[in-house]
Amino acid sequence: MSLQLENLSKRFGDTTAVDGVSLELGSGETLALLGPSGCGKSTLLRLVAGLETPDRGRVMLGGRDITRLPPQRREFGMVFQDYALFPHLNVERNIAFGLVELGWSRAAQRARVAELLELVGLSGFEGRHVQQLSGGQQQRVALARALAPKPGVLLLDEPLSNLDQGLRETLKLELKEILGALGIQAVYVTHDQSEASAIASRVAVMRDGRLVQLADREELLRRPATTWVARFLGYRNLYSQAELSEVTGLPYPGPALLRSDEVSFGGTTPKAITAIVRSCERQGMLHRLELWVPDWRLSIHWEGFGRELPHDLETGDAVTITISSDAWVPLPGDA
Amino acid sequence: MRSPPLTIALGLVATSFLTAFFLFPLAVILQRSFSGWEGLAAIITNPYYGERLLFTGGQALASTLLTVILALPTAVLFARYTFPGKRLLRSAFTVPFVMPTVVAAMGFLALVGPNGLLDITLRGKVVLILLAHVFYNYAVVVRIVGSHLERAAPRLLEAAATLGAGGWRSWWRVTLPLSLPAVLAAAALVFIFCFTSFGIILILAPNHPTLEVEIYRLTARLLRLDAAAVLAMTQLIAIGLVTWCYTALQRRLAVPLARGAPQLPRPRGLARLILQLNLLAAFILILSPLLAIVVETFWRSGSALPDLAAFRALAHSPRSIGFANPWNAIGNSLRFALSSMFLSLLLGLAFAYAVVRAGWHWLDNLSLMPLATSAVTLGFGYLLAFPKLTISPWGVTLAHTLIGFPFVTRSLLPSLRGLPASLPDAARVLGSSPLAVLRRVELPLLAPALVTAASFAFAVSMGEFGATLVITRPEYATIPIAIFDRLGRPGEANYSAALALSVILMVITAAAMMLFERFGEGEW
Repeated sequence: MSLQLENLSKRFGDTTAVDGVSLELGSGETLALLGPSGCGKSTLLRLVAGLETPDRGRVMLGGRDITRLPPQRREFGMVFQDYALFPHLNVERNIAFGLVELGWSRAAQRARVAELLELVGLSGFEGRHVQQLSGGQQQRVALARALAPKPGVLLLDEPLSNLDQGLRETLKLELKEILGALGIQAVYVTHDQSEASAIASRVAVMRDGRLVQLADREELLRRPATTWVARFLGYRNLYSQAELSEVTGLPYPGPALLRSDEVSFGGTTPKAITAIVRSCERQGMLHRLELWVPDWRLSIHWEGFGRELPHDLETGDAVTITISSDAWVPLPGDA
Repeated sequence: MRSPPLTIALGLVATSFLTAFFLFPLAVILQRSFSGWEGLAAIITNPYYGERLLFTGGQALASTLLTVILALPTAVLFARYTFPGKRLLRSAFTVPFVMPTVVAAMGFLALVGPNGLLDITLRGKVVLILLAHVFYNYAVVVRIVGSHLERAAPRLLEAAATLGAGGWRSWWRVTLPLSLPAVLAAAALVFIFCFTSFGIILILAPNHPTLEVEIYRLTARLLRLDAAAVLAMTQLIAIGLVTWCYTALQRRLAVPLARGAPQLPRPRGLARLILQLNLLAAFILILSPLLAIVVETFWRSGSALPDLAAFRALAHSPRSIGFANPWNAIGNSLRFALSSMFLSLLLGLAFAYAVVRAGWHWLDNLSLMPLATSAVTLGFGYLLAFPKLTISPWGVTLAHTLIGFPFVTRSLLPSLRGLPASLPDAARVLGSSPLAVLRRVELPLLAPALVTAASFAFAVSMGEFGATLVITRPEYATIPIAIFDRLGRPGEANYSAALALSVILMVITAAAMMLFERFGEGEW
């Protein structure tokens, strides 16, 4: 049964949180809602869950209009940013919470809880209390709880944002595996572009309540729809038409993005050009360079691993770089 | 912000109850008491009433200042240090607050009254009123300010230390400014209690009547309803303003429940000495009246062993009409306390829910109005508006419910506000209807606060004096009424009986309060 959002809008007082968003989810698909804080992605998720009612628009499930249906009747699962585990219940009672509402027998509840704990890698944790769990464990219990009543759609509201980097990486992969194995439809809200690409097959980018781009994850990175999206995705080499006036070998006119992952070191003329290292710094395992191309009067930001560099670079060094034709991405003239 | 139907329903139920059993009786009084505009003008311009108003405000202000000055050091010390017996001491300081005013008055009579333990007689003097008010409200300041500081300050003090301000310096620059809202909130509450003080004035210094005592005289003795109504309205307006400040301040005080209490140090050196002196002084001031009652009751004859003469005097009370039978009184008190506690809980919960979940902030103020209103006036309103009801026990029960539920709401609001909104959301998505969310998630998590609230409601009902005095019938007399009755009659036996009843009332109230300390949680 596919989930369909039709022209959903929601205002809070003077602020428009969601402005005419339409989406459709394919069966078994994970869609990411990506955007900066305040863009309306969490509100949109809450509209889907039924925790807010839209001012305009409809939510449809398998062709049925469920817009007026209260959340407890929608049979969705939801994982909250702060996990929202019930502090007065242990792990087993937390996970079985939705099953109690469905009237499952105690034996059936126990079996299902054990099944889910195994799925999330926490077998044997039934009797633990919420306060005794680490952040990563709490998140897994929250996931198990949401999945227990076998929901048709899973909604996740920035589930990894409260975890540290290492844990995030691990859980990202686990989540993806679990979602794939269950073949369940999911909507995943995040502000982190790499998380969206890792978990979802399609990404919907939101800004100020509106949908600005809906694309496969590769398509999104290859062809951001606007300058704003490009900047949000982390691209730093964004140039206006004027800035590109001296550049040779541009495939198209107009404002453009230069993808730094298509810039390599070395190579021979006529493709290669000279650049001067303006600054270089390290961030963890990444090297970040700012390269000044005197012929083009242009600065290029580059980041990558040390092995891609010809040698240890220092400020003031001259290097040769080659820019592939795929490196340039045209941008429409919007901010 | 969504307002699910359940919340709205609860809000409407709460508002209707309040309208029917609070606003309506007051309206009846206003209507019946109106005797024309000239009459009204005459009352307003009467200098005697103006004096009473000024006196009431003045003694309330003086009491508040005195209480804050005396209790603030204790609050600060409690928030700064830990020491053995701290919890016990904090409970001990709260005992006077939950004591009925009649008992407090008895305590001071036993201490500094004409037959008192100490040789000075302060009865009839204004200073006694002030002392009694400090005794009563000490705990309010210590608890409100102390708990706010304890929760809000630690992280900021650490920051101050890294910036070079450590120890007492950081307290001066960071903590005391931080505590200002809490101090003002506590002061507002203390002012309200002192302004509307009734039992203490009536028993200890009836020659210096406050508005409330004057209202009692006007309604019960002189039958001047018009003047009484004007005074009641004046009191309502004055307190209404202070109440509004208090609720605004309390909203600002809502600190999310800290994860894990900070480890407080033990006091050393000079600080230790100051702490010990302060606690000793507080102990003497706060507990001596209560100890006086105990001493006067059991050691009246002067022998070394305690004797039960007072209780014998109580048991052999003449069985005449109008004489409140002590066994009845005890039974009635318990009956009214339990039933009104139950109703207060329901009403207070409905109120708190509507204020927090539906955002009906004006209900916050409305729920404090019964505190601000003259209990005597309310009682009289019941007599006029619900004559049949006041013949039945329901009259007293409802009056107690209305007077008690503001305390319930006050106890529940911070806990309800501290409940993360995602918890009921999660329950709803998992399939719980709004009622199931309340039953399975919110109520279990509110349980400690509910216990606190219940103990307060119980204690308030046990000690309620003003409204009960007006509505009372001999068969529904409560213990405070019986005490007052005995005090009004001459003779040693009656005084002893009053003492014995006070001890009984103390024990029952103290037991309820210990329940609160043991199982409950939360502040006002």
